[in-house]
Parts: sequence; C-alpha cells; structure tokens
Amino acid sequence: MRHARIKHNDRVLKVTLDETDQLLDTNGQPLGLHANDEGFEWLSPVAEPGTIFALGLNYADHASELAFEPPKEPLVFLKHANCITGHKQTSYRPDNIDFQHYECELVAVIGKTGKHIQREDALDYVAGYTICNDFAIRDYLENYYRPNLRVKSRDSLMPLGPWLVDRDDVPDVSDLRLTTHVNGELTQEGTTRDMIFDVPFLIEYLSATMTLNPGDMIATGTPKGLKDMQPGDVVRCEVERIGALETRIVSEQTYYGTHY
Amino acid sequence: MTENLVSSKLVCVALNDTTQRAAMAAAFTDAPYKQAPTQPVLYYKPRNTWNTHGQVVPWAIGGDGGAADAMVVGGSLGVVIGKTACRVSAEQALSYVQGYTLVADYSLPEVSYYRPDIRGKCQDGTAPVGPQVTTADAITDPDALEVLVHVNGACQSHFPLSRLHDNVANIIAKLSHIMTLQPGEVIATGFCGERTPVQPGDTVAIEIGAIGTLVNTLGERAA
Repeated sequence: MRHARIKHNDRVLKVTLDETDQLLDTNGQPLGLHANDEGFEWLSPVAEPGTIFALGLNYADHASELAFEPPKEPLVFLKHANCITGHKQTSYRPDNIDFQHYECELVAVIGKTGKHIQREDALDYVAGYTICNDFAIRDYLENYYRPNLRVKSRDSLMPLGPWLVDRDDVPDVSDLRLTTHVNGELTQEGTTRDMIFDVPFLIEYLSATMTLNPGDMIATGTPKGLKDMQPGDVVRCEVERIGALETRIVSEQTYYGTHY
Repeated sequence: MTENLVSSKLVCVALNDTTQRAAMAAAFTDAPYKQAPTQPVLYYKPRNTWNTHGQVVPWAIGGDGGAADAMVVGGSLGVVIGKTACRVSAEQALSYVQGYTLVADYSLPEVSYYRPDIRGKCQDGTAPVGPQVTTADAITDPDALEVLVHVNGACQSHFPLSRLHDNVANIIAKLSHIMTLQPGEVIATGFCGERTPVQPGDTVAIEIGAIGTLVNTLGERAA
C-alpha cells in the first residue's frame, strides 16, 4: 500500500493510492482525485517527522566523484523537519552561490521504537520507504561538522515523497534503480546495490547508541551524478518500486516572499 | 518529573568561545580544517537526547558497544524562541525570544570537529533542558550572563558570555537565515571550550544566576 498526505480544499487528508493511482480516503473510498491531478497539494508523507539521519558518501562512485575515499564507518549527519517539502513543491536556490546539487535517495522510515537492534531484526523496525532529494549547497561547505547545517539543513531543501510504500511491498531494497532527471534529461543513475552501508546495517549502527522512534528517517545517500540547479529547473528523483519525486527550483526571493 | 521544554528542535553552537578559538588558531589552519570557521559551528541534539531537570543522564556507550571510557559536560544559555523567526536581523533578534533557560550537553569528549559527531553528541538523555524558562523581559542583556558548572558541589567551569565569539543576537540572526525558527525551539548559544569531565554517579549543576540551576546525575556504567 502507498500512503500519502495531501491538502485539498484547505483540509489535510491522509490518503492511499490504488493501482491506477486514484486517491482513496481512509475508508478506501475514491476521492475523485488522481495522482496526476493539479487540484491539491502534496504534503510530507510522514505526518510527524522525527530525527532525520542522512548519509554522506554512502555510494562508492559518489565518494570518488567528490574525491573522497569511501568511509570505513558511516558518515551520518542530521537534518530537521524545516527542510521537508512535499512532492511537486518548490525548493529554493540561495542567492550568490555557484553550486547547488540534488541528491536522489532512498529513505527508510522507522515505524517502531527500538534500541540495540540487530541487523537480522532491523527491517521489523521499518514502516516503509519513500524518496528524498537531499539538496546541498556546496559553496557553504566548511570543515566543521561537515556537511554542516548551513549546507544541509536549510528550509525547503529536502523534498520528501510522494508517498510512503509499506515495507512488505518492497521486500528487497538492495537492488533498486535510482535515477534523476533535470528538465527531462537523465543526469544521475545508480542502484542501491552500490550502497556501502545498507539499511539493516544502518539501523543496527544507529540504534547501538540511540533509541530510534516512529517518524525517524534514514536517508541512505546518493550515487554519482551531480549537476548544478537553477531557478526554473524541474528535478525528478525516482527510485524503482517506490515512485518519483518532483521539485521545481525557485529563487530565494520567490521562496521567502515578504520575508526576503 | 518536570515537563520537556523543547519543542521540535534543539540546536547547539560549538567553537563559540573566543578563548578556545584563540587556543585552536594554529589547529584551524591545519588539516582537516584548513581555515578557521567563518560561520557558527552548529549541531543538533535530537529528540532522543532530550531530558529534564532532576533526571538521570545515562552513561554513554563507547565505540565498542560497551560503556564509554569518558564523558564531559558543557553548560549553555538556552534561548527559547517565542515567535516564528525567519531571516531576522541581529538588531531585531532578541525580540523573537520568549525566554531563557539552561542547556546541558553531555557527550563523549570533543576529539575532532571535522565530521558530525553523532556517537559523541546524540546519545539518549544527554541534553537536559530546564529547570524552567525565565521570561525575556527579566534579562536585559543575555551577553552579560555567566554559566557555572558544578560537579558534586565544586565549581569546575566559569564561562562569562562576554567570551562568545558570536553573541546571542548574532546566533539567532545567523541561524534564522539557514532555518526558520519556530516557537518553543531552543538554541544553546555556546559552551566553555574546555568541557568538564564527569564520572558515573556525579551530580552536575549548571547555573546561571538570573535563570536558575539545572541539576542532573550521571548514571552508572552499564555492566
């Protein structure tokens, strides 16, 4: 089952999608809306995002692209819910920068509280999977807690969605194709097979020192294929069997409006 | 048990002590840092770390999965946001503050600032906040406050906030240009660069005279 949240006629609705992409209400009744319709807004599929763990350099080809040795221990950083936007929403490009790039990532969403979780049991703690675009502003990198919050924790720069796919509907996430298209052109391609630290490993690793809770997320990193983004660009991050997450880039002034 | 005072997020600022920065000036120019930080050095204490006045702070877990060899504590002024702060100026920043509290950051020793220190900083129960919020109108100049750290009754650290590299208003302003701050979110504006070592069973009191005293006890090493 695919679970989403939308805003329709000023109401926030929990919905599911059937195999023809029709939206159903919580009783399974059709809402008369199709996933491709424009008359509603996609929200974060996770209603109450908790701690967002994200992985740096978790694909060997991406690490070499950035001239780093693949890490021997996961490079984990934290993001916050202020970064999250939904499918078909906007993300902004800060003024006066040279390089903002997307990062298409598989996200595991935690569904059950746990600590000291063993690898063999790890997937019991996963509610499902979604997709994020973990944008980065490379101009702002500094070598302190790198990647620093100024690079990775900005408003709107983590589109998430479109929906959450139940864990049992994707029994094997270890060989899913990831692609990113910018304005229709294929710019990034990889497979979760090339992940250095996989989802069960990461759950065991993180829960060794931290309690994981429902709504926590693990964004598992991105493969090779970086490209700069400009206002007006439309970026589509797709993960096989999960879905496709689309985002339009706007300027900082457009995004912040009266707060600019 | 007192109420959890943090809503949504707790952001801390590292390397915000001018004395520490002066001592590290040479190290900043070496690998892996290569230059001194130009922006506040920020880290989150995520929700599994949140704790309250009077509670036990569990002894941390080390890299081998056993009890950590050592822990340290830092105390900070905690700024509690009162209204949504999006891209505010330093001049306006303090008007977005609802009040002030205390934040204790228990962690593994700060060995390196190069990579996010998830194991060091994000262990369960290592971020007590409290004991209460003192309203902003009672504090005319937050930069004039001093943070004391007492361990088992003896004062081990004395940090006047005049030593902050970025003062309280600057931190709020700079942070609000990265992330919109929401009511109830808490910012720990800076710690004495020299963190205070603690042992299992220690009682630690973080004190700012005009705000109060945040007391916690360290748990025992897990068997």
